[in-house]
Amino acid sequence: MKRKKNFKKNTKSNKNKKFNLFQRADLKFSKICPLSGKDAPEIDYKNIKLLKKYLSESGRILPSRVTSVSLKKQKELARSIKRARLLALI
Amino acid sequence: MNNYEHTIIVKQDKFENQSKQIITKYENLININSGKVLKTEDWGLRSLSRIIKNNKRGLYFHIKFEGTGETIEELEKAENIDEMLIRFLTIKVKEHDLKKEYFDKKEY
Repeated sequence: MKRKKNFKKNTKSNKNKKFNLFQRADLKFSKICPLSGKDAPEIDYKNIKLLKKYLSESGRILPSRVTSVSLKKQKELARSIKRARLLALI
Repeated sequence: MNNYEHTIIVKQDKFENQSKQIITKYENLININSGKVLKTEDWGLRSLSRIIKNNKRGLYFHIKFEGTGETIEELEKAENIDEMLIRFLTIKVKEHDLKKEYFDKKEY
């Protein structure tokens, strides 16, 4: 019984841990894909505010295993980020 | 007929006064070559994220239009020669969203 209790405590503390170098401490990503669903924001190369959330500080695209974006939306994201780069918006 | 979005970056220093002439020139080019301009947006003077062809800033213009593949051929043929432009980009869209504007006209 004691072991089980300890195990539960450990999992809770692990949630707040950083699990990647690229992840910023103040931004915690949800486990569900934030870009799919009914009220999800539209991915567009003109929407710079949204695109900047999914870039690291040096301007590289964050992997979907960190941000938990679905595969279909990750492809859209990458395409629109590259378009914005071409126009020198990001 | 397909829907397209087209953005142009114009050089700042020499051609700031001529910028309106440049857009009307390309709008006419679209209208002549079996196209139809629906909306033009002026994003104003923006600083580029990195230096392109020795330019730090550029004037952005955004055109939404209907047309065929031939209109784009003619447009880009004219733009490739043009010295006033830094860059251009055309993108095919399923539907036009004419209400939403992501950029206000502010000078940075």
